[in-house]
Amino acid sequence: MISRRQLLGAGAGLALTGLLAGCGGSGSSGGGGGAGSVGGASSGGIPLPRPNYPVKWPIASDNKAIASGLQPEKNATLQIYNWVAYINEGTVKDFCKKYNCKYQITTFNTMTEALAKLGTGQLSFDIFFPTVDVLGQLVEAKMIRPLNHSYIPNIANAWPDFRNPFYDQGWQYTVPYSIYTTGISWRKDKVNLTPSWNMPWQAAKYKGKVALLDDYRETITLALMRAGNYNVNTTNSSQIAAAGKALDQLSSLVNVRVDNNDYTEIPNGNAWIHQAWSGDMALAKDYMPKGTPVEVVGYWVPPNHHCPVQNDTIVNLKSGQNPVLAHLFMNYFLDVNNALNNYSYLGYMQPLTAVTPQKLIAEKLLPPTLTTTVVLPSYFRNGVQELELPPAAKQDWLNTYNSFSKGL
Amino acid sequence: MNRSATNRRRERWLWIALAAPGAIWLIVLFVVPFYAMLAVAGGSVNPFFETAIPTWNPLHWSSANLSAVWHNIAGSGAFIGPPALRTLIYTAAASAISLAIAYPVAYFVSRYAGRRKALFLVLLIAPFWVSYMMRMLAWIDLLQQGGFVNSAMSLVGLPGGTDWLGGKSITVILGLVYGYIPYLILVLYAGLDRIDTSLLEAARDLGLGRWRTFWRVTVPLSKPTIIAGAFITVLPMIGDYFTNQLLSAAPNTTMIGNAIEGQLLSPGQTGQGAVLALMLLVVLLIPMIYYAVSTARASLEFG
Amino acid sequence: MATGESLRALPGAPGSVTRRVRARGNPWRRPWALEGFTWLYILWSIVPVAIAILFSFNKGASQSTWQGFSTKWYVGAGVTSVLHNPSLHQAVVQTLKLSIITTLITVPLGVGFAIGIDRWRSRTSSGLSLVMIFSFVVPELLLAVALFMLVTQLFTFLPLGTTAEVAGLVVWNFSWPAIIVRARLVTIGKTYEEAAADLGASRLSAIRRVLLPMLMPAIFASAVLVFAGTVDDFVIVEQLSSTAGTQPMSVLIYSNVHGGLQGPALNALATIMLGFSLLVALIGFAAYRWMTRGERKQGASEALTSIAGM
Repeated sequence: MISRRQLLGAGAGLALTGLLAGCGGSGSSGGGGGAGSVGGASSGGIPLPRPNYPVKWPIASDNKAIASGLQPEKNATLQIYNWVAYINEGTVKDFCKKYNCKYQITTFNTMTEALAKLGTGQLSFDIFFPTVDVLGQLVEAKMIRPLNHSYIPNIANAWPDFRNPFYDQGWQYTVPYSIYTTGISWRKDKVNLTPSWNMPWQAAKYKGKVALLDDYRETITLALMRAGNYNVNTTNSSQIAAAGKALDQLSSLVNVRVDNNDYTEIPNGNAWIHQAWSGDMALAKDYMPKGTPVEVVGYWVPPNHHCPVQNDTIVNLKSGQNPVLAHLFMNYFLDVNNALNNYSYLGYMQPLTAVTPQKLIAEKLLPPTLTTTVVLPSYFRNGVQELELPPAAKQDWLNTYNSFSKGL
Repeated sequence: MNRSATNRRRERWLWIALAAPGAIWLIVLFVVPFYAMLAVAGGSVNPFFETAIPTWNPLHWSSANLSAVWHNIAGSGAFIGPPALRTLIYTAAASAISLAIAYPVAYFVSRYAGRRKALFLVLLIAPFWVSYMMRMLAWIDLLQQGGFVNSAMSLVGLPGGTDWLGGKSITVILGLVYGYIPYLILVLYAGLDRIDTSLLEAARDLGLGRWRTFWRVTVPLSKPTIIAGAFITVLPMIGDYFTNQLLSAAPNTTMIGNAIEGQLLSPGQTGQGAVLALMLLVVLLIPMIYYAVSTARASLEFG
Repeated sequence: MATGESLRALPGAPGSVTRRVRARGNPWRRPWALEGFTWLYILWSIVPVAIAILFSFNKGASQSTWQGFSTKWYVGAGVTSVLHNPSLHQAVVQTLKLSIITTLITVPLGVGFAIGIDRWRSRTSSGLSLVMIFSFVVPELLLAVALFMLVTQLFTFLPLGTTAEVAGLVVWNFSWPAIIVRARLVTIGKTYEEAAADLGASRLSAIRRVLLPMLMPAIFASAVLVFAGTVDDFVIVEQLSSTAGTQPMSVLIYSNVHGGLQGPALNALATIMLGFSLLVALIGFAAYRWMTRGERKQGASEALTSIAGM
């Protein structure tokens, strides 16, 4: 167990070298420590996990996991804190029927908002769905409880990668929830271009019909990848500035729009080219207007799977009153049938080995034309991960993005 | 009128007692939070959680956020200029259009509706009962390329292929009008109702035609109402950000509210967002003071 | 010109000139143009409301693309329908709770403030008036973020949730009654109250029996605006909410627009609320007319007469 001072002491030196080396992203050669200790860059002394610098989080002595073999809490209301409409309530209802409890789902719109509310200490939730990049903050603030693996045997259903992910070695605090890629979605019946990262810039004749995601990481990453730069956690300000310029150029070329409504805009034809998340497009059939077949919707990621890949996690918050139920909940969602049930509502898949494109098509959950939205283990290994940036670089990214999206 | 000094003092206490509860609420829940925002603007950022740390003591206020924002306004890569200019243009246009529509409607309902006044009021208030968001989503449906508006336009011979939702200023302006006009109508109605019919009759008897009566009697009498109505409509419009988000979402139609929202809610930039919002407030001080002064003056004129 | 016009406007005057002049000069004819314009506005204003209601019957999940007719969002099992989804029920209850409580607090506070500030001529009152105007000018998001910080760090006696939400909503909507009633007060002036005082009524009585009735349209208008403002508010409420039970419809709708899959269910909810509030309005209106059936013709002058007669 590493004490905070040790972390700071060890981290500080490595932090500088890490930052100077511009580490991060796939493809860069390894540097500092390997698994099991502080390796690579850190922010304020807290390590920044990278695929090449995996992190095993410390477990504080006053934040131990619960004992094994306990019974689920009685007469409990499971408090879930989640993104808006990011879980199938039907599945949650089934869980509660099985374990004889009630549930309440509170939602948030941005991770910043969620962390702010959690930080007040006034709210007590059991289940939370953080993105990978905020785990460090949660561990440091002792807001999450380490897991007792004996309650979660279904982890066997998940991809082996997730029993030792780089962001949480030994899955001490997290189980994986959804996994998704960022690609480009387009209307095959309206657009006559070959999809590529350059597609939006080629769409001058589709002025007003091109949109990017309202996300500072995704937009700048797109511009970086278009220029052939796959270091999507770059701290190099000239690279970031060049990306910003490309985005500004796009704006004057095609009157680009910036929103997160890819899942409605492409089906209803308001946008013909939209940077999109795989999970959003998987459910396109639910948003097609009457008479338009879902086959006109396409989703593209590069054939070599060199695209942004993210996954969300489920954690048990320390302030929650029902830790046993929380563990059982995580176990429940790692079951294949429940995951498929969740997928039918959500469109975002979980990284379970049984969830293959063939299975999804067989279960009529996905049209064959959209199998590109399914994430395979090879994506996870070949893809680029958008991860936590050091503060100064993050401000650089944010300013570039704000300048593009709010100020033209 | 023979009111002794004691009576006058007792009266004074009555006014103070009436105003006190509201005043206290205002001070505790507005002035104090406002000071908190000043403290955030002059404050720092928690480097780890990226939350804003307010600096309560004015002597320790830092100018880091201010210089960052100034850089965004006037430095290289500045981006605040265009949205600020656009905000002025959009709100001026939207306010003019709103007044042009709202005044006749309010005038009609307050003066000529007669027995059907209740019906009209219900119809005017109906939009309030349905969420603003939902009405905007309905407009998105109407404005789509194959939607009702385009079909209707081609029916009457106008070009029916406009892409209303593709980042157009006119859509944002009309969206602003649609969103804020119910408020304007209601405020105008409340004031126009008050104008004494006998004054208008007198004007007519003196031979003033319809239009002259309107311009030389009605409008001047309704001046305080118009000012209140304009105030109530224009100022929130300036800080609006969701109209653009919903109806356009394009960087080339953003308003200053979008810039403020972006920074207030970005990790580590809350302080800068606060500075930007405070700058906007300084600009708005001018119409604010004008409103205060004109209300005070009108109060003396009328009463 | 003046007498000439009115003479020619008299009926019976010979010639088509009369008809033209009468049409133009008669100030008492029905204002067709104005009425038509008003109806056009109402149509423009209400058609989206009708469409929002329509989409509550949408077969698919979109709130802006018609996909066929279905009642599943009202009563369908297996989806988030109004009937089967307790979080939607909670949201409606919270919306009603917030709007009613906020209106009941804000309107009296605001009306009292407007009257008090207008009559109490001092530097403090002008200062307070400026503060109130300032509270109207501040962008809502700024106030919301500030309140959140304050409530969680300094004013911890105000827990996040309904209490904090109401506190914030009252402050935010305070300027409606304050500004609207003040404007009306200014037009009314002091003459009626002075007359009442001369007739022997106390200040308080004059306010109650003369001033308030004359302020009724302004009070009514501001109550409507406060209620509507609260129903629609998602900025302050979202910042100050705690668990799902304290998230009203407006927050659900706003969150949904930015990525959600429950769309038409919310339209269904809004339709039900609309129907409900129409019902309440009808009942309230009928009750009001019944209660004031004797007093309907009363105006300021009658009120004064009744005071004098006491």
